[in-house]
Amino acid sequence: MTDSMNGLEMALDRLLLADANALDSKDMKGWLANYAEENEASYYCRAAENTEHNLELGFMFDDCRARLEDRVTYVTEIWAGTFQDYRTRHFVQRVSHRQIDASTAEAMSNFSVFMTPMDTGVTQILAAGRYLDMVRLSGDGRAKFLSRRAELDTSVLPRYLVYPI
Amino acid sequence: MADVTLTWPKNYNEVPKAAFTRSDLYSEEIKRIFHGPEWHPVAHESELPNPGDFRTIRLAGIPLLISRDEGGEVRVFYNACSHRSNQLETAVMGNKTEFECPYHRWLFSAKGELVGCPNPREFVPGFDKADYPLGQPRFELFYGLIFVTFSAETEPLDQFLGESGETLRELMASDGRLKLLGYQKVRYDSNWKGYNDNDGYHAPLLHAAFKMLNWQGGKGRQYTATKRGHVCFESALSVASGPSVLKDKDLIAFKGQDPSVGSRIVQLFPTFVSTKHLDVINLRFATPIDAETTEVHYAYFAHQNDDADMLRHRLRQSSNLLGPCGLISMEDASIFHRIHIGSHTPGNAIFQKGVRDPGKLESEFSQNDESGNLPRWEYYRSVMGFERAEA
Repeated sequence: MTDSMNGLEMALDRLLLADANALDSKDMKGWLANYAEENEASYYCRAAENTEHNLELGFMFDDCRARLEDRVTYVTEIWAGTFQDYRTRHFVQRVSHRQIDASTAEAMSNFSVFMTPMDTGVTQILAAGRYLDMVRLSGDGRAKFLSRRAELDTSVLPRYLVYPI
Repeated sequence: MADVTLTWPKNYNEVPKAAFTRSDLYSEEIKRIFHGPEWHPVAHESELPNPGDFRTIRLAGIPLLISRDEGGEVRVFYNACSHRSNQLETAVMGNKTEFECPYHRWLFSAKGELVGCPNPREFVPGFDKADYPLGQPRFELFYGLIFVTFSAETEPLDQFLGESGETLRELMASDGRLKLLGYQKVRYDSNWKGYNDNDGYHAPLLHAAFKMLNWQGGKGRQYTATKRGHVCFESALSVASGPSVLKDKDLIAFKGQDPSVGSRIVQLFPTFVSTKHLDVINLRFATPIDAETTEVHYAYFAHQNDDADMLRHRLRQSSNLLGPCGLISMEDASIFHRIHIGSHTPGNAIFQKGVRDPGKLESEFSQNDESGNLPRWEYYRSVMGFERAEA
């Protein structure tokens, strides 16, 4: 499998894993660093049920770079100390991808996220779903998210969300 | 005579913590409150805007099918076949003008009529399809908001709402001509009363965001309506001023036409909470799942007259401001959980702010008083038949 992995596949997988690692480390600056510097850079987290019924509303709707930066502020400054913290583990698996042009590709991946609240220590599933990513490719073989949509199969969350999925 | 007993403190500002945690109270609450003489909002008709649109929900365990027929009329049915009670429709929402039960192929119209069933000659002699429509609970609409009740005793909806109806109408853009933007759904690890006691009202002290955004609350009024203690807030619009930590200030911008409309909250006994804050119109349909779990469907709306820019603004503001991951409400959700855990300790929860006399109930309050919840607690106590300790 590895033998046949091309440069694009490696770049996409590095990005997927870097994002999972940043989220699970609660490294919000690292999370932001996975997004392209462009104003259009965006992150959405929404129940697939909404999407399937043409309802755009989401749990998180960060449709520009400024909102991505604000989300870092929510988590690290505004909400600090107000919630029951929890660990997460993201498991991500790329299922399809397509190069659109020299600097753009799209990818679809499945995800499942385990959650372990710090106070109970009991591990639960937080959400399952898929990522629909539009990815910006740079000449040096690196990839960043231009747009990431976390489409949740989980239409009823088992608790409030602090961190992006 | 009550099947369960709980001695209530003599002071009106004290609530036994056992009310949140005793599992033997739960089945009695379902019987007396959720299946009893109360009205429960289940959807707004704008959630099913087109002929044939339907939604299904479960309210305190009871499966409901809400449908709009070809002529545009909205009705509420039990989501169970009139034959053997197989769950009729499994989709949460969709569009159908006929509903077929797969078990014995009974077919119902969107008006609830049984329009077809195979081999009726083998049925009980005299079988008549007209005798087997889908069952229906009582329901009424208020500016498009659909209420159901499972009791024949419940008074008419207007009486149930009382003065709160006017605030609720204004909250729903004054005319109820709403347009659905979408849902955020979540289960909280909290008894339904812990959710309800802390969702509508909560101290602004909780919200670091208000302080960081220099966001002062507007002057306002809190009152309770009817014997049930529905809580209503009306406050002047306030917007954050001064330097902001946010780079996208549209999140907390007000773009509506009438700044005097400001902020409104209507909280109806037993579980419904609705709010209009900045340009967000949010109806929260909540149901108990069990004694320790409450499911809340946050439905967000625009107005039918909104232009494309306003629609976009409401979508962007609604997604990120309120709800289970909203900038100014995520920490509320955490409080529901923590109140529920903390209530598993002896004694009473004691309300303080705004309580002028623990021996009296009032119906007008200052905006940030926690005493606005007390008439509702008194109603709960009386419905449950719990005796108040002698003074």
